[in-house]
Amino acid sequence: MIQHHPDESLLLEYSAGNLDTAQALCLRLHLDVCSRCRCQVDMLDSVGAMLLQEEKSSALSNDLFDRILTRIETLPEDEPKPKVTTDPLRKLVGDLNALPWKRQLVNVSVYDLSEQFPDQPGQVVLQKISAGGKAPVHTHRGTETTVVVQGGFTDNRGVFEAGDFVVLGQQDVHKPIALHGEDCVTLSILSAPVRLTGPLGRLLNPFIR
Amino acid sequence: MASARDTNARQEGCKDPWSKLLERVGQQRDREAYRSLYEHFGPQIKYYALSNGMAHHAEELVQEVMISVWRRACLYDWRKAAASTWIFTIARNQRIDMLRKMQRSSAEMAVETEDLWQIPGDNENEPVTALHRILAERRVRESLRSLPEEQVTVLAKVYMESKSHQMVADELQIPLGTVKSRVRLALNKLKVILRDQAV
Ligand SMILES: [Zn+2]
Repeated sequence: MIQHHPDESLLLEYSAGNLDTAQALCLRLHLDVCSRCRCQVDMLDSVGAMLLQEEKSSALSNDLFDRILTRIETLPEDEPKPKVTTDPLRKLVGDLNALPWKRQLVNVSVYDLSEQFPDQPGQVVLQKISAGGKAPVHTHRGTETTVVVQGGFTDNRGVFEAGDFVVLGQQDVHKPIALHGEDCVTLSILSAPVRLTGPLGRLLNPFIR
Repeated sequence: MASARDTNARQEGCKDPWSKLLERVGQQRDREAYRSLYEHFGPQIKYYALSNGMAHHAEELVQEVMISVWRRACLYDWRKAAASTWIFTIARNQRIDMLRKMQRSSAEMAVETEDLWQIPGDNENEPVTALHRILAERRVRESLRSLPEEQVTVLAKVYMESKSHQMVADELQIPLGTVKSRVRLALNKLKVILRDQAV
């Protein structure tokens, strides 16, 4: 059961098509499992359609339709088929367990995806906390947008499971503990490097990027 | 199952004229229907491109959208989205796709636009919700007309000019919080926010 949703302004920017690709991916992964937000996006899409109709229009060149018809003639006959939802993250990285995870701390590994999202400011990472493991206490200098991809974690805000979506700001101290049974994998966009705040933090900070 | 048939008939009656035209394109490859759709939506899409700062590619966007409409029309399901909504999502995706391709070669596009922004009905597993959708859309349309100007302006800048809330705030010289509250008020009025409803 999805408990944590993106706020309405993010859903609006998604529907309007104004998000960077990594943000859109986080939203898409949430929407895949959240019928409530999907329903909201459907309605937002109809808001977009109505604004499109209410706004002005611009005259088209006289020969544009003929040019379009000409192109249609040359289209291959293959009909597009409805897609059964393919998980865009699995399509991008394949099997999560087979990734070359980089161990960062005892319970924490990361896999950096930033290169795949050149338009996305900040860092795009998959983070893995081993089942039942604690991640160190940390805060964020910027914001962190996170969607749970596998397993789950708890922190002072509650329980987060697959599909749950959370945006953490600078004031949030984050102390996640992975749920038992399965490693917890999250997809996150970090607008600035994570800062460790626990007693070990000062020691480890220089080594964490 | 007389009652189910009645429901179907009632739902069929709700189908808007653009959806009927789109179905004719999809099922019969009807070029007259296609031309009517082009004449209605084409100028809107061109305006959409222009207001998005794509002056040099405005008709190119119209072309790409119309080609996509032709190719995908057989997948269109009126129960999942009104024709206008379906075409809006195609226009949005083509805009994003064109901008992404202008910025870099498509070979570098690790994730396809359509995997990030889906078109209604693309997902076969979606339940069919014709009446619910039609009623919700009607409500949205009616309440959009009664929104205060300042709220419509903010929504129009987000949708038609692809401006983030921050950019809207800068342009209108109002605080970000004001933009956000106008959005929230508008979406509440349109009943798009479902926070407290069971769905
Ligand atoms: Zn949700």
